[in-house]
Amino acid sequence: MDAFNNLMYGFGIALEPINIAYVFAGVFAGTIIGMLPGLGPISALALMIPITFAMEPSSGLILMAGVYYGAIFGGSTSSILLNAPGVAGTVATSFDGYPMAKQGLAGKALAIAAYSSFVGGTISVVFLMLIAPLLSKVAVSFGPAEYFALMVLGLTAVVSLSDKSLVKGLIAAVIGVMISIIGIDMQTGTERFTFGSIHLLDGVDFLVVALGIFALAEVFYMLLRGGGGKEAPRNAIGSLKLTRSEVKQIAGPVSRSSVLGFFTGVLPGAGATIGSFLGYSMEKRIAKDGDTFGKGNIKGVAAPEAANNAACTGSFVPLLTLGVPGSGTTAVLLGALLVMGVNPGPMMLEQRPDVFWGVVASMYIGNIFLLVLNLPLIPLIAKILDLPKPLLLSLILIFCMIGVYGMSFSVFDLLLLLGFGLVGLGMRLFGFPAAPLILALILGNIMEESMRRALQISGGDWTTFIDKPISLSLLVIAVLSLGLPLLKKRRTKRLNTAE
Amino acid sequence: MTMLPLKRFAVLALPMAALAMTTSASAQEWTPSRSIEFVAPANPGGGWDTLVRTMSRVIQQEELADESFAAINVPGGGGAVAWAQVARDNGNPHKLFATSPPMILVPLAGASRYDHTDFTPIARINTDYSIILVAADSEYQNLDDLFTALKENPSLSVGGGSAPGSMDHISVAGLASAAGMEASSVNYIPFSGGGDAMTNLMGGHIEAVIGGAGEAVGQLGEGSQLRALGVSSEERLGGGLADVPTYQEQGYDYTFDIWRGVMGAPEMPEEAVEYYEALFAEMLETDAWREASDQLGWIDAYQDSDAFATFLDEQQEQFSSVLTDLGLMRQ
Repeated sequence: MDAFNNLMYGFGIALEPINIAYVFAGVFAGTIIGMLPGLGPISALALMIPITFAMEPSSGLILMAGVYYGAIFGGSTSSILLNAPGVAGTVATSFDGYPMAKQGLAGKALAIAAYSSFVGGTISVVFLMLIAPLLSKVAVSFGPAEYFALMVLGLTAVVSLSDKSLVKGLIAAVIGVMISIIGIDMQTGTERFTFGSIHLLDGVDFLVVALGIFALAEVFYMLLRGGGGKEAPRNAIGSLKLTRSEVKQIAGPVSRSSVLGFFTGVLPGAGATIGSFLGYSMEKRIAKDGDTFGKGNIKGVAAPEAANNAACTGSFVPLLTLGVPGSGTTAVLLGALLVMGVNPGPMMLEQRPDVFWGVVASMYIGNIFLLVLNLPLIPLIAKILDLPKPLLLSLILIFCMIGVYGMSFSVFDLLLLLGFGLVGLGMRLFGFPAAPLILALILGNIMEESMRRALQISGGDWTTFIDKPISLSLLVIAVLSLGLPLLKKRRTKRLNTAE
Repeated sequence: MTMLPLKRFAVLALPMAALAMTTSASAQEWTPSRSIEFVAPANPGGGWDTLVRTMSRVIQQEELADESFAAINVPGGGGAVAWAQVARDNGNPHKLFATSPPMILVPLAGASRYDHTDFTPIARINTDYSIILVAADSEYQNLDDLFTALKENPSLSVGGGSAPGSMDHISVAGLASAAGMEASSVNYIPFSGGGDAMTNLMGGHIEAVIGGAGEAVGQLGEGSQLRALGVSSEERLGGGLADVPTYQEQGYDYTFDIWRGVMGAPEMPEEAVEYYEALFAEMLETDAWREASDQLGWIDAYQDSDAFATFLDEQQEQFSSVLTDLGLMRQ
């Protein structure tokens, strides 16, 4: 019961009054940061480095980790209520969360998001505690070839995210890939699709596209349909309570997505956003009522929310056991730890057990705080939907603008946001699904870079993708998940025509 | 709507005020009259950002300046967006930015309209060095082993944390030249950061990694999965890197500095430059700076404005020749 003793030791640290205060402050600040579109955990953490500088390393990391997972927890709120993802990791939550809110089930959607986040966070902390040192091997086993295969597998979800027309879904996905490669090409230093503008050299920020295509497009769409808005039952936040059968329904998706999300988070470079998409598309595929995903299915809220919180915890594995950051946010955390005089890495468990176990224990406490903090807030926050429509729409517009401007202080990005809003409107009017575009945008660039890196290492030999067992198995799963639904469709078609 | 004219007035008035100060009070020292905008030309969390925030904090903590240093992030284009912005602020003595080799490399690659000669060099602050890493179980024990293998089989992959033609690539290409190889024959694999490259090295996906010594130090020592073969400094480094021999010790006549410094808006008044030179020199002497540098693996390498200007010109020449060898010169 070594882990148990270590955990008790960790709780000894995390339960010091000052550290409890830090966990609370961290998750509270994180929730707020997460709710506001644009203000992400990265900039918030970078701003906090001077504050944590003088703190005990364990307290500092407890506080900063709280902000990070708190932000992922809170990010679902604006995804559900406004269709405006608060952080990149909660985009997938809006697919079913926003339709639920429109049906007057905002309270239920938010409650499901909170419960799923809590379970995802807690399950993943158990994993972090028990197998983190072993997992460092998993994290490094993924080289460029394996990442390529993983991204291919991720992209096959385009099929399940395309609802009516597969062709339209594929078109959206291709546009997503094209947007993802805007900027300086990492392999050659060549500029692609920049039209000579220095503002496009670093590419287009994911949140600019997501806010444009989801939130802004929704605003435009409502404006087009006239301000009446009688279809949406206002004053209806609905009950927060889940029925027993609903709990039963989401139990499976939540636990599966928690595990999947955690392992995705462990891989450096994958993270919460990819984790939530994988969770969502996996559940959509295996659910019997998969075709109601995207129309307000509670499983479509539960799965990505469990996955993104689990992935957030998972991303602490490479950070703490290898000393390498897997994402922008953990890179800032690494910087903060170095400044505090802690060297994360293989020796950290022995040299600074207080930091490792203190943080692990604080995550249990933090997740409970988040649940207790968020549930009573739901009715208050959901009141935003009671606002008259003109006010609500202006509010969404302002939120998105502030969010985007606050990220880059660039007027150019505001114009981009507007542009993507119009693109999103066009897609809605002509029946193009937005989810495949967003998925391809997330995966496209990593997929391309990994493929070219792998080929550069292998000297141009394509068999590198099937020589490696992990890469091969991922590709086989990808082919199966593409092939089986198509075969099924064909067979039902043949049966239909036979009749 | 009253904001706009006011702002315009301020833009005009400031250089004029600075001018007035230089003429009427030339005997007196220049001091900042408002808070100083200290720009990190990148997102929070990177090297430039850390430099800007650490310097601002130390200056404030030690009460070295009457006005505060406000850290501002202007990301984009590997620095080009921030440079374009600062370049417009001709003569503004209250605008500084952090700089390092990309200031030379990005313009040489043709990705910025402005190069280092468009700005006022203030001071070089400190430096980091390149380090060559291999996996702990690798057969390469020293640089000779690695380069013998590379010469035999140039397709062996060397990973780095930045794009081709940027810092890590130049550093390893220059070393390869010194080892008697064609600079362009190194199979340089760009990763999205030093951490990413090191993870791939630990996983056995690549043969070696070129990275920053400061970034790598946490990865070395007891229980490490990596081994350092050499550093690009003239003399051995201290602390956790004391055991790592330099390139020169191993017979490779090559050094590479990952310097960091501060530059200001174009045509900054001479008095202001002097003020900042003195301020930064004083900052380097403080305990708070010492402590922060030690933890971040930085080594002080102060140069005043004139020396820094000469140094930058030399760097430009050196980098141009390596980039030409690599066929990546675009200017």
